[in-house]
Amino acid sequence: METFSIIFAIFLGGAVLTYFAGKLSSVVQDILFLATVLVPTYLFFSGVSIGSSMPFSLEGISLLWGVNHFGWLFSLIVLGLGSLAAVYSVGYMKGKERRGYFYLNFVLSVMSMLGIVISQDLISFFIFWEIMTWSSYLMVIYSGNDVQRIGIKYFVFSAIGAYAMLMAIVIVHSVTHTFFIEDMIQAYGQMSLQLQIWIPILFLLAFAVKAAMMPLHVWAPGAYSNAPMAYTSLFSGALSKMGVYGMVIILVTMVNRLPQGILFREVLAWLGGITAAMGTLWAIKQDDAKKLLAYSSVAQLGYIIVGVSIGTELAMMAGLFLAVMHALFKGTLFMVVGAIEKQTGTTNFTEVTGLIRKMPWTFFAALMGIIALAGIPPLGGFIGKWMLYESLITSDHYLLVILIFFSSTAAFLYCYKFLFGFFLGQEEKEWAHVKEAPATMVVPMVLMGIFMVVLGTFPGIVLNPINNGLMDLGYVDSYKHLWETSIIFNSWGDHVILQPILYSIMGIFIFFLIFVLWKGYKGTRYVTTKDISSSGEVPKEDENLTFSVGFMQPFMRAVAPVMRRQMDKYYTGFANGLEGLFDFVRRIYTGNAQTYAVYVVVFIVIVLLFKDVLF
Amino acid sequence: MINDKHSQKIVDYIQNWSRKHSIWVLAYGTGCGAIEIPPTMTSRYDAERLGVRGAATPRQADVLLITGYLTVKTLKRVIRVYEQMQDPKYVIGFGSCTINGGMYYDSYNTINVLDKYLPVDVYINGCMPRPEAVLSGFAQLQKRIAEGRADGAAQYKENLEWYRANQKRIIPNWVMPEYNW
Amino acid sequence: MEEVLYNILGAVVTFIVAFVVGMTYGGLTRKITARVQNRKGPPFYQNFIDAFKLASKKTAIHHGVMHLMGPAFLMVSSVMTLLVVPVLSGNNWFPNLNFHGDLIFLLYIMTFGPLGMALGAGQTGNPNSAIGVTRGLSQMVGFEIPWVMALVALMIQYKTTSITGLMDAQAQTGTWLMFSSPFAFIAAVMAMFGMFRYSPFDIVGAPTELASGPVSENGGKFLFVMMSSGSVFTFAKLTLYIDLFMGGASNLVILLIKTFALYMIPVLYGITSPRYRTEQAVRWFWGWPTFFGLLAIIQAVILK
Repeated sequence: METFSIIFAIFLGGAVLTYFAGKLSSVVQDILFLATVLVPTYLFFSGVSIGSSMPFSLEGISLLWGVNHFGWLFSLIVLGLGSLAAVYSVGYMKGKERRGYFYLNFVLSVMSMLGIVISQDLISFFIFWEIMTWSSYLMVIYSGNDVQRIGIKYFVFSAIGAYAMLMAIVIVHSVTHTFFIEDMIQAYGQMSLQLQIWIPILFLLAFAVKAAMMPLHVWAPGAYSNAPMAYTSLFSGALSKMGVYGMVIILVTMVNRLPQGILFREVLAWLGGITAAMGTLWAIKQDDAKKLLAYSSVAQLGYIIVGVSIGTELAMMAGLFLAVMHALFKGTLFMVVGAIEKQTGTTNFTEVTGLIRKMPWTFFAALMGIIALAGIPPLGGFIGKWMLYESLITSDHYLLVILIFFSSTAAFLYCYKFLFGFFLGQEEKEWAHVKEAPATMVVPMVLMGIFMVVLGTFPGIVLNPINNGLMDLGYVDSYKHLWETSIIFNSWGDHVILQPILYSIMGIFIFFLIFVLWKGYKGTRYVTTKDISSSGEVPKEDENLTFSVGFMQPFMRAVAPVMRRQMDKYYTGFANGLEGLFDFVRRIYTGNAQTYAVYVVVFIVIVLLFKDVLF
Repeated sequence: MINDKHSQKIVDYIQNWSRKHSIWVLAYGTGCGAIEIPPTMTSRYDAERLGVRGAATPRQADVLLITGYLTVKTLKRVIRVYEQMQDPKYVIGFGSCTINGGMYYDSYNTINVLDKYLPVDVYINGCMPRPEAVLSGFAQLQKRIAEGRADGAAQYKENLEWYRANQKRIIPNWVMPEYNW
Repeated sequence: MEEVLYNILGAVVTFIVAFVVGMTYGGLTRKITARVQNRKGPPFYQNFIDAFKLASKKTAIHHGVMHLMGPAFLMVSSVMTLLVVPVLSGNNWFPNLNFHGDLIFLLYIMTFGPLGMALGAGQTGNPNSAIGVTRGLSQMVGFEIPWVMALVALMIQYKTTSITGLMDAQAQTGTWLMFSSPFAFIAAVMAMFGMFRYSPFDIVGAPTELASGPVSENGGKFLFVMMSSGSVFTFAKLTLYIDLFMGGASNLVILLIKTFALYMIPVLYGITSPRYRTEQAVRWFWGWPTFFGLLAIIQAVILK
């Protein structure tokens, strides 16, 4: 397959060219950057057919790249979100410094993620994984804020994950003498029980770090909020999905074949559930939109982990559908935050308010993203939530479904906080000058918003590729004829038919909207948000009436014991442990990249030397 | 059809009937007379049987009850609240103070005649008027509504300049928004 | 095409029935409250008069497009709930959308309106509205837990997530679910206190401290639509409870008797109660109601 080589050549060459084109002119740089992301995307979806593969050998190790249905599904997330985020980045980075640095790392991230989903061997998988980690790490420290705290945290966790994966790869190679993933899966059945348990654990450790699963999530809020927003939409939307991608493969092809795998999956599912609940609670507490969305990402990935680790076909579908949806809405929401940050200079709810009439399109995108996030019909988020609940109920996870339901109901609180904090509320004079974001930023957001609406009624568009992907992984397809339509089923035969529901909702909504508007339309007039019934007072123009400090205080008071007992125990205990670890690590990590390289080499050598003793 | 003169009459009749039987009073006690409102509303006299009930904000209310004397400061708020209310809206002047200043007739900071600042539909005499008198005042208002004569809001709109001049004369620093219904 | 028209006709009829019944119940509530307080009280049709008066207000104000859309959002939620809940069992009068959605869908469509309304209330810029909304959402997180526990208990015991499935289960065994799953019923009824927002859980619209909260900037026709939506929603929720726990109703009279009996539980409890603070309300729902919900799930697992 020539196309693979061309795609990666364009990515690499384009990345380097873009980096240096900044010296020439910023317009050239923008165009080069867009071409570098969009052309390979076009080539991939037009030129690469599912099932094609490219074997080649590097230094005597035979490698294999190829696309199966499952990888194609994730390439859809990566390249789809990647190209939209690229368009957005051009607007977002206008006038910012170190554009070359940003563009280079952006392209490398997209390339490495595409590489991960097409890698059919462990070596290239690991290399791409590391490129992804590095490029995202460089993005996290892009702003230069809190590098010590956030950057190192992200780095340490990624390193733990990467070493775990490396160890697993070495073990696999020592047993099978080949790096092909296919062979690993084949050989897994014949391994000793000890290996059968340790290999998935090591792999899952690596993937759980990227998917920000409890208790390995502590890097996520800082890293998500510290990276530039144009990148965070990709970071949270697509990059975290690589963890899910790996997790699904390991769970389906390995853990499911173990008789003890059920324990494994239960533990993972509960961890996912706790991640969802606590991520939600902490998200409600945040006053900074970036932090709020970051915690919300952690929580949403909790749902996805629950779905994929339950492992019934419906749960798997739910998890993967939620993964696609999460890429869409969290990508949109981070873009919204980026747009607001660019137009107003802050992302704090307590500072900025009342933007709805100034940034209507951004508001539309944010509204769609929030409705999808909250899982309200008729948008796409509902489909994923519905399937998740149904799969949990039909597979006897009664308490887990309560936990999930709690966190998704509590999610309404931060959803409302997000919309209210930025767009609704008093329109203050301070923000009267704010204008709508430029078209390059608005168009990707609105496009994704529209796509979420479409997916809400016709989920078959995404469910079909998911179904094909699951069949690739060896699931017996028991629903196939149904995913074509817009009906969703559970395994008890209960269903929701989406089309009439959408039409009814639209009909009722329009009818009553017209009713409200028509009845005495001339008597209805617009008044400003200063003209409110506030005890007969006339608020002055510069009088701030916004309610945004301590927004969810009553609820936080209600859950305070939970957060004190549970969260603090986890967090302080974990943080204290980490402090000790950092103290230790600080002596090893000199901050010098060459020393790290030496460590890696030494580690590999030790493992290889003692492999007979160890394994 | 609906704009036909006769059918308009019928519609008006029905609307006035419903307005008459559903009077939402803004919970805004301006003076000492507000102490008579709780007994009027609660078990002893139970104004709710006439359809009279409290409303929380001016947007929802029909009737502004001026309970007693109005200081200049309060007058400003009262005017503001009145202008925030939705048409049709009525004003009830409650107690002697709203009619001629009552016992505060020579006070330096109260107004004497409410009618100069807001269009009063019904006055209730007394200092204080007892709940029976309040109820009879409401009954009077209902009668006027049913007859279509409770048109204070329309008068206010018509003679806005006169009212504004009076209001501005008494309120020193005038920063109210325009009233342009 | 003809089928669609019949469906629309059925929906309109259902809506009118729900509107009338809900409004009458509201009026009766006021009457009963008055009698408990030793007053004469307004006539039972007082709510109709109020609604008509609100609809015939001549002017209204709005603070922007979300504020305009708020009542419409609220109405979507109420009417969709009404359409998805089977009004009469074994009857083709009101087929509506019963077979297109299940309980999980219903749970979510029921939150659609309050959230849309919350956006409308947010845009008014009135701090009271936003405070009311945060209270309402907090309370929702509170009562949804026992409510979902009760529903999950029913679902796993009868292996169906559809309302009609649960109604069929009752028809087959001949016992109402409130007797065969008593804990689920208790949890659900306790959750109902929060759902109907009577005292002591009327923290959202608290007229004395929040100036009626989310609706504080709405008057005239906006308030009319909200009031009708509330009536329809009341009816829909009561019907849902009847369908789930009391075997549904085969004709309108039985439906009215059952719904009214059920409706009196939160009303009578509310008349004699003062108001909770938000965190007290939330914690109340996570106390005994959740305990009963847990019992219900245990019972369902044992009896499954």
